[in-house]
Amino acid sequence: MSSGESSEPGVPGAPGGPGEFTTGRVLSILAEIAETDQVRKDLDLDLYGLEILDSLATVQLMVALSQEFGIDISPAEFERELWATPRKIVAFMEGRVGP
Amino acid sequence: MIPYAGFLYFGLVAYVAVPGLVLGVLRARGARWWTAAATAIMLSIQYNVWLRTGPHPQTWVREVWLLVGYAIVQWLVAAALLETLKELDRPSPTATWLAVTLALAPLVVAKFEPLFNPKYPWGFLGVSYLTFRSLDTIIGINDRLITKMPPVQYLAYLLFFPTISSGPIDRYRRFSQDWERRRTRAEVLTDVDGAVHRIFTGFLYKFILAYLIKRYWMDPVAGRYYGLLADVSYMYAYSLYLFFDFAGYSAFAIGVGYLFGIHTPENFDRPFLARNIRDFWNRWHISLSWWFRDHVYMRFVMAATRRRWFKSKYTASYLGFVLSMGLMGVWHGVAAHFILYGLYHASLIIGFDFLSRWNKARPKPLWGEGPLWRAAGTFLTFQAVCFGLLLFSGRLG
Repeated sequence: MSSGESSEPGVPGAPGGPGEFTTGRVLSILAEIAETDQVRKDLDLDLYGLEILDSLATVQLMVALSQEFGIDISPAEFERELWATPRKIVAFMEGRVGP
Repeated sequence: MIPYAGFLYFGLVAYVAVPGLVLGVLRARGARWWTAAATAIMLSIQYNVWLRTGPHPQTWVREVWLLVGYAIVQWLVAAALLETLKELDRPSPTATWLAVTLALAPLVVAKFEPLFNPKYPWGFLGVSYLTFRSLDTIIGINDRLITKMPPVQYLAYLLFFPTISSGPIDRYRRFSQDWERRRTRAEVLTDVDGAVHRIFTGFLYKFILAYLIKRYWMDPVAGRYYGLLADVSYMYAYSLYLFFDFAGYSAFAIGVGYLFGIHTPENFDRPFLARNIRDFWNRWHISLSWWFRDHVYMRFVMAATRRRWFKSKYTASYLGFVLSMGLMGVWHGVAAHFILYGLYHASLIIGFDFLSRWNKARPKPLWGEGPLWRAAGTFLTFQAVCFGLLLFSGRLG
């Protein structure tokens, strides 16, 4: 994970620091797996409609997020609706681990 | 009685739907109980058939008792797993695999027993679809997403009469959200609107378009002609017939579910307009392909990623496709052409993934995103899909 970047407007929690928030951590993992920084800039990006994520990338995202936050995420929890945009994924994770 | 096949069935549906709607509009507490009662009434009529399960005169059994026995066993298995995991307070792969085996056993018997004993088959209409629903609860319990399972709610989910014979395959947690909600008066009326719209689509697709295609195109070709041209003609006829027949049936099933406030997921989304084979599986028999995606493919790839089974993530992904598409083929039946159908689709998906990654990695991609490329993609996908359905039809065997 890179450090020292400034956070985008409207995105609380700069990634990289020790006290960073869920948003920043989720977005940097997402950017790494989606292989594009667009997911940080546009939080309402249609991840599946634009084929930025597919089933394989989703599984990797789930594994990376569960390792980063030390929780279990079950593939049965996956719903396109719930995971459709970066904002929704952040909201899902905040629901699980807090802000 | 075969569901959605004749006016008697639709008449019976009207009889059980109207009291439910009245209770719904009155916002009565009994509306859910009526849904359960309607399911019991419809199934006892629909499955009131004597089946001969062996050569002796005493081996006749009413189909409805097979269904009841099956449902009770499935509930006991799921309830036992739920209690065991609550007691243990940690995952127990042994308990989960035992539950999966027990849930699969009736389907395996129904599929394989006729190979040994073709005159007296076991099983009942819909056993393969019920198995998907039963396994969905077991997986949900294993993942601790399902924490309570009231018997009436579970049985209503498993046996919900509009979708019992051929889906769409609902999920327990999704069904429960609908089941536990009390609809407002406006929502009941919106549901009626959705139901009427779907039921009319069903009539158009199944009783007009599918019927005409079968009568004037598919059956004449099937009966009289042989050779390559006849096979090609049959391929398109069968593909279009299968789509309109099954999409029409699905529209009926979903529509009738709406009358009871259960929004069973959609099964088709203009599949022949798919731009590639992946897109196709998000549009064709969606409830089945998403079941395999969530419960087989993603689970397998997740286990492979966590435990580092393979060096390349693509190896895991491709084996996941072979596994889920192969199982999808076998689930349709144990005949060779069904297995071939599954492996054919696995190879299409893998081939497409390989090609599109290769194309993206090139400095200058060979094909792009323009409307012509899109049209070419749709055309090629349609041909590949129709050829798959020709394999599926068994005509080439």
